[in-house]
Amino acid sequence: MRDGIALARRGRPALAFVTSEFWAQGNFVAQASGMPDVPRLELPHPVAGSGVAAMQALALRIRDEVLARLAGT
Amino acid sequence: MSTWLTAADDDAALEQLHADGCTDGLPVVLPTASRVDRMLVAAGIDRELVIGEMGPLGGAATVEKIAIAAVMAGCLPDHFPVVLAAVRAVCQPAFDLGEMQGTTHCIAPLLIVNGPARAACGGIASGFGVMGPGHRANASIGRALRLAMINIGGAHPGVSDMALHGTPAKFTFCIAEDEAASPFPPLHTSLGYRADQSAVTVVGVESPHSVFFTGDADDPQSAERLLDTIAKVIANPGSNNSHLGGTAAVVVVLNPEHAQVLAHAGHTRESLQQTLSARAVTPRATLAALNTKMLMGTGDVLPAVRNPANLHLLTAGGPGLYTMVMPSWCAGPHGNVAVHAEIELNQVCAVPWVRQEA
Repeated sequence: MRDGIALARRGRPALAFVTSEFWAQGNFVAQASGMPDVPRLELPHPVAGSGVAAMQALALRIRDEVLARLAGT
Repeated sequence: MSTWLTAADDDAALEQLHADGCTDGLPVVLPTASRVDRMLVAAGIDRELVIGEMGPLGGAATVEKIAIAAVMAGCLPDHFPVVLAAVRAVCQPAFDLGEMQGTTHCIAPLLIVNGPARAACGGIASGFGVMGPGHRANASIGRALRLAMINIGGAHPGVSDMALHGTPAKFTFCIAEDEAASPFPPLHTSLGYRADQSAVTVVGVESPHSVFFTGDADDPQSAERLLDTIAKVIANPGSNNSHLGGTAAVVVVLNPEHAQVLAHAGHTRESLQQTLSARAVTPRATLAALNTKMLMGTGDVLPAVRNPANLHLLTAGGPGLYTMVMPSWCAGPHGNVAVHAEIELNQVCAVPWVRQEA
């Protein structure tokens, strides 16, 4: 979340990936950082440790949305 | 300026503070204006002075807000200089307070008090049960920092404090070094302070892990066995320190008997730091077999404490069989290192009526 905020502050296209269990924390950090609308995407929890196949499937599922949001479309 | 709340009576005020997430779950002393004023009068510092910024919320830690936390925690005005110094310490960027409060790890700030403040600031315990209940100054000072971290830093479980389990040390964790019983110079002198100065050293650590060791005066290898035993607890293969590159501070609290065993063998604090850091290692293959991911560092043997200066040794507790090791988080931008600040005793005013009424 902080990485996404740091990139957005520099004017770079940014989209923070936040899993569902940490969504509330992401909102808190965004508010506390003064960037409540910083772009973020909710992912299922967990991602880490879910295995290559599950991660590949997730990546395919979110790919188009991630590219579109980074492109600002 | 703080926002002052109103309530119908004390019970309602306490319940409101609980409901608003302003407590640690235990009852607090209500921070009435008069109680906060007494804390501030004794401190003799401008209430609007900003000591630092506390993450993850980024709240401004004014002297007044810190005084409110101290009142809520049950502090006497005598304790307040230590609380102020502790807040000043954790607000240093090297402490990574915002990241530390938000981590899933079970880390809590341990306050270690050295110098004349041990006696002058309410009698901070350093002997039997030093990390446990029953010591008013220790309990109140550590709790005041926690309440500041909650109410100024904005740490709330499951929202901004993401510790999976937390730790009892998050309620309060403050000790003094038993300088009289220690065969080594006081801890803060190794950090650049004079012995007649007072300082608080703050380290983000786990709860203490016990090290069982029976000394034997007839055994010339007694000190070596003790060092090996401590090193094995430091290099616990399940710890972050072993897996994440050994960047962090680790605290070893020797009981006075164990400290004497090591001193009689000719050790100094520096030689102990070197020896323990060298022995607190684990073969890469052992760790790789346990955790296939998240293994940092290079080489066939991975240290739990990469820099011996990050191994903080002190003497406290009652004499006997146990020493304590506090592993740590080993993460954050600065790698979870110790910070410290001088405890400024000369700014405290003597206000006799304060002590009577607090």
